Amino acid sequence: MHKGKGMKFVGDSRISAERKPNIPKDYSEYPGRTEAFWPNFLLKEWLAGAVFLVGFLCLTLAHPSPLEGMADPTDAAYIPLPDWYFLFLYELLKYQFASGDFILLGMLVLPGLAFGALLLAPFLDNGPGRRPHQRPVAVGMMLLGLVSVVWLTYTSAANVDWESRAEANKPIPASEVTIDTEHPGYASYENSCLACHGAELEGGAGPTLVGIDLTAEEIATIAVDGIGSMPADQFQGTDEELEQLADFIITVNEAAE
Amino acid sequence: MLQKIYDWIDDRIDITPIWRDIADHEVPEHVNPAHHFSAFVYCFGGLTFFVVVIQILSGMFLTMYYVPDIENAWKSVYYLQTEVAHGQIVRGMHHWGASVVIVMLLLHTLRVFFQGAYKKPRELNWVVGVLIFFVMLGLGFTGYLLPWDNKAYFATQVGLEMAEQVPLIGTQLKILLAGDATIVGAQTLTRFFAIHVFFLPAALFGLLAAHFILIRRQGISGPL
Amino acid sequence: MSDEKQQVSRRQFLNYTLTGVGGFMAAGLLISPIRMAIDPVLKGSSGGDLANVGLSVDDITADPQRIDWSVDQVDGWYESEVSRSAWVYKNDNDEIVAFSPVCKHLGCIVSWEGSEQHPNEYFCPCHDGRYYKDGTNVPGTPPLAPLDVYEQEVKDGMLFLGDVIPQGEA
Repeated sequence: MHKGKGMKFVGDSRISAERKPNIPKDYSEYPGRTEAFWPNFLLKEWLAGAVFLVGFLCLTLAHPSPLEGMADPTDAAYIPLPDWYFLFLYELLKYQFASGDFILLGMLVLPGLAFGALLLAPFLDNGPGRRPHQRPVAVGMMLLGLVSVVWLTYTSAANVDWESRAEANKPIPASEVTIDTEHPGYASYENSCLACHGAELEGGAGPTLVGIDLTAEEIATIAVDGIGSMPADQFQGTDEELEQLADFIITVNEAAE
Repeated sequence: MLQKIYDWIDDRIDITPIWRDIADHEVPEHVNPAHHFSAFVYCFGGLTFFVVVIQILSGMFLTMYYVPDIENAWKSVYYLQTEVAHGQIVRGMHHWGASVVIVMLLLHTLRVFFQGAYKKPRELNWVVGVLIFFVMLGLGFTGYLLPWDNKAYFATQVGLEMAEQVPLIGTQLKILLAGDATIVGAQTLTRFFAIHVFFLPAALFGLLAAHFILIRRQGISGPL
Repeated sequence: MSDEKQQVSRRQFLNYTLTGVGGFMAAGLLISPIRMAIDPVLKGSSGGDLANVGLSVDDITADPQRIDWSVDQVDGWYESEVSRSAWVYKNDNDEIVAFSPVCKHLGCIVSWEGSEQHPNEYFCPCHDGRYYKDGTNVPGTPPLAPLDVYEQEVKDGMLFLGDVIPQGEA
């Protein structure tokens, strides 16, 4: 390396006035069959990346990203669920030793210990050996953590009926729902259904009535006999009013499509 | 022509050493899947970065349509998904990428862990890596709320409730995140948007830069 | 020698000054943004008025019933009418009790006899939390505290409910 007086610079910058040829390194001084990062190895990485990208795009095409109905803070029937990678934490809180009086244990101590140990792993596992069998404690803890996270996630996910969740929470743009208050069936709706199913049929204590696939007769039957957790005799009126009510719900559904 | 442009620039700012340092380092045999197929485990880190790039790009384009406002957030997402050509795909990339990046990150972490690659002198890079993991989980949590659908709303409410259970600072922490003591609403959405789009990505870029610089300085760990 | 010493201390002085000026710039840049960010934490919450829930006192029975009403809510710049709900019943002392349906565990919504396996209890579907009829959490289930009650008042035979108040340890 030239130092001091031997060097000539362009102006007062650090750019040397004399260009030195870039001599490629001699790879023979490294053990094994090494190769240059650019372009040899990077090409292989990008091939792997291309295959990965194709798989990834197939996934996005095959499974459109889900979107549920617009957030409705009053939807009391909704059972929250976090994204899948937080499910294990969510499931952990169901256990007695992790909730109730022990909530701090479940919420802070256990995850805190696990993530803290992960963060500080190199300082906790500071022996010289790198092979897994040379550090049984660290590997054992990691396997234990891994198994419990996988198991917790699995248990949590297995309890959820994903299909009916997706079905019950289909997005309905509010703008498409037009409520014709002049409709003869609206008065009956207002009296009998609105309290639970919302002023715009958007749901509340009961499910939304937009996007249902029922005939007028079926709607009438449900209004009188109830269904699921909906009690019977919600509708109390004449048969003609019942018919108008069913017709009203059908009309709103047709307009929303 | 291109060569001339390059020479012109190089004469003035001497860029050759910069890219030579990146391009000319030799890749040892034990990480090269062409020589040992099992070396594909070394791809996980690079693929994680690739998904991060997908996330950044798709996220940037999503903000062309998205508005962080409780009246319009859901509508804008619904619109870009149903009315905008390829909007479904771009949101799909961001949505699935969020999951895939966690999976790849996990695989990469496990590779490094079980190979003991974090041992001296690479402790610092492991710590930086775990911090990246935390930032990613934060991005996942804040990004989940943004579509403002039922799933997002209620999951966030539960998440904030968890934050509130933290001793001493719980309530303050919750308000700091949600912008209001009791309401998960307009102020929560703008806050989560800011955190998701500006604060955490800024932290992520810094950590990623540190991660990569450390790898270049220390080289990849040797074979077991 | 003394020259060199002075050079070092001059250099140190410049370093201190640099740190000081840097700190000043950082503080000047960040004070307002940080104060802005933590504003909601420092702002006190104002108590709300009681609202008529549209339920006559005579209609309240010993069986908890769900009532919904709406209040004006101000969320920063966003004002809206939001609906609230409560489980209302008359206890053995003939006092009206209005419970907030928000689970004390993680804020899910509980419902009276929400599970067929647990009659005469409030049930939270998220983590199977349960409460007795008087709102006390069933020991051994996730919730830590009894259900919150609404501040209440009876005017002209109608029930008025206000803010949610946590119950004392029961």
